[in-house]
Amino acid sequence: MSSLEMLPLLEVAHGRREPRTSVESPASPVVDRIHAAARGLAAFGRRSLLLIALFAAWEAAPRLGLIDAVFLPPFSEVIAAGWQLAQTGELYDDVSASLLRALSGFLISVALIVPLGVAVGWYARLGDLVNQFIEICRNTAPLALLPVFILLLGIGELSKITMVIYSCAWPLLLNTVAAVKQVDPLLIKSARTMGATPEQLFRKVIVPAALPTIFVGIRLASASAMLVLVASEMVGAKAGLGYLIINSQYSFLIPQMYFGILGITVIGLAFNAILEALERRFMRWKSPVTA
Amino acid sequence: MTTVKIRFEHVRKEFVVRGEGGGPGRHFTALEDITLDVRSGEFLALVGSSGCGKSTLLDLLGGLTLPTSGRILLDGRPIAGPGRDRGIVFQQYALFPWRTAAQNVEFGLDIAGLKAKQRLDIARHFLDLVGLSGFTDRYPHELSGGMKQRVAIARSLAYDPEVLLMDEPFAALDAQTRETLQGELLRIWRATGKTIVFITHGIDEAIVLGQRVAVMTSRPGRIKQIIDIPDVLRSEADDVRSLPEFGRVRHEVWGPLREEVLKAQQGQLAAGAGARADRKVEEVTHV
Repeated sequence: MSSLEMLPLLEVAHGRREPRTSVESPASPVVDRIHAAARGLAAFGRRSLLLIALFAAWEAAPRLGLIDAVFLPPFSEVIAAGWQLAQTGELYDDVSASLLRALSGFLISVALIVPLGVAVGWYARLGDLVNQFIEICRNTAPLALLPVFILLLGIGELSKITMVIYSCAWPLLLNTVAAVKQVDPLLIKSARTMGATPEQLFRKVIVPAALPTIFVGIRLASASAMLVLVASEMVGAKAGLGYLIINSQYSFLIPQMYFGILGITVIGLAFNAILEALERRFMRWKSPVTA
Repeated sequence: MTTVKIRFEHVRKEFVVRGEGGGPGRHFTALEDITLDVRSGEFLALVGSSGCGKSTLLDLLGGLTLPTSGRILLDGRPIAGPGRDRGIVFQQYALFPWRTAAQNVEFGLDIAGLKAKQRLDIARHFLDLVGLSGFTDRYPHELSGGMKQRVAIARSLAYDPEVLLMDEPFAALDAQTRETLQGELLRIWRATGKTIVFITHGIDEAIVLGQRVAVMTSRPGRIKQIIDIPDVLRSEADDVRSLPEFGRVRHEVWGPLREEVLKAQQGQLAAGAGARADRKVEEVTHV
């Protein structure tokens, strides 16, 4: 083999990632699995240390009289109150009402705004036309418009879902427009030289290239959806986690109020986990980024 | 083997450049009176100093822009737009990061409407040809620069274009990888019989690869001289760079090119106030 022929092999060897087969001595699979489980548990413990400490402090502080137990009931009491709410079916009503509003508003917004954003990003003229309008709306805090929505659309589901749609729209729109505009012109050029029609160019280059940045908008929108939903449920609603929180406070059911807050957190986390899973699935090609 | 594949007939390309401070645009000539024949199956290397319009020439060949005047004929028919009869390899690879190596190679076939099974077979074959058999499922970010460029070459070959246009494809690679890929490219060229137009600013690269080396003038770009590379330097076995003949030919190419490089530098110094406008010109020509 000449040295010239060796070079590609060298390059191949250098470019290759660590071989996947383990070089450790082959222990029995059961022992391996136990080790792996122990390692996983230890890692989980390490990462959750702060959280566990927080819950412990929450439990201990009122019990030790460091804080007024009326205003901050111990964690266990909050959970017990939640269990009670679950048994009466009240919790189910509130969670389902909130979920329905958040999900429908969020999904409608994604379905409407992402295509619009793609169009605005792709057609420069359309962008010029709507840019000023977008800037004005974006800088009007959605919550400031809540009274307007209630006046125009009533205190029913419509005003709340519209509120969610509206607040999701801006992060979605801005990120989608930016995503389409930022597509590497070289990739477009390259696809064109291979004879891609405008339709193919759009489907096979623009959309996949824009997807990661669109996803940033989707994540921001989901956070915005929860924020606005809770606020609007606090103002005028007969069900929902926002209603649960504010109503419990008015009725001085403080453990229930805290449980409502925990409920919001859990829903937010679940939303985020689902979106992360989707992102991982659609964007396997991205180099791993540690968040 | 002496039929003409590509014929440039008095090709001229002008751009309108934005004037100073938003003033009226002025015309800038990137290419002037390019007349050149590329023979079928030939490996032609084009060298020129930076900003001589090499990339403009390639865009014209690719059908991405049309000449202001003159014609470019491919097999006797004027080029009217992009097409799969020409494959382009870019300096920055231009791989689709969301597609694996195989899927990247399949892109042109996908566009052409081939079935998935057929596409994969062809992609495997061409990844084999460029020495990347084991890397079909790797994403571009998992590949080195040299491997990315191999994928890009395989992608351009996969839809079987008759002409391969290469725009400084090895300029971003390290010296060893570059030499390896030059050797591989010659091997692929011999195996496939494609017509290759290879743009470079490296004299050595042009001499090692090209059967003929065309030297371009700078601003506006013209073909200054075409130098035939003697057969001695086309050997597959020898390290041609070490032959005395290589030095002689290198000198022969460097002479005309050096004048252009000097001229370009003097132009930049003398321009003074025009320097800013020139920078804009540079941007235009390199887009």
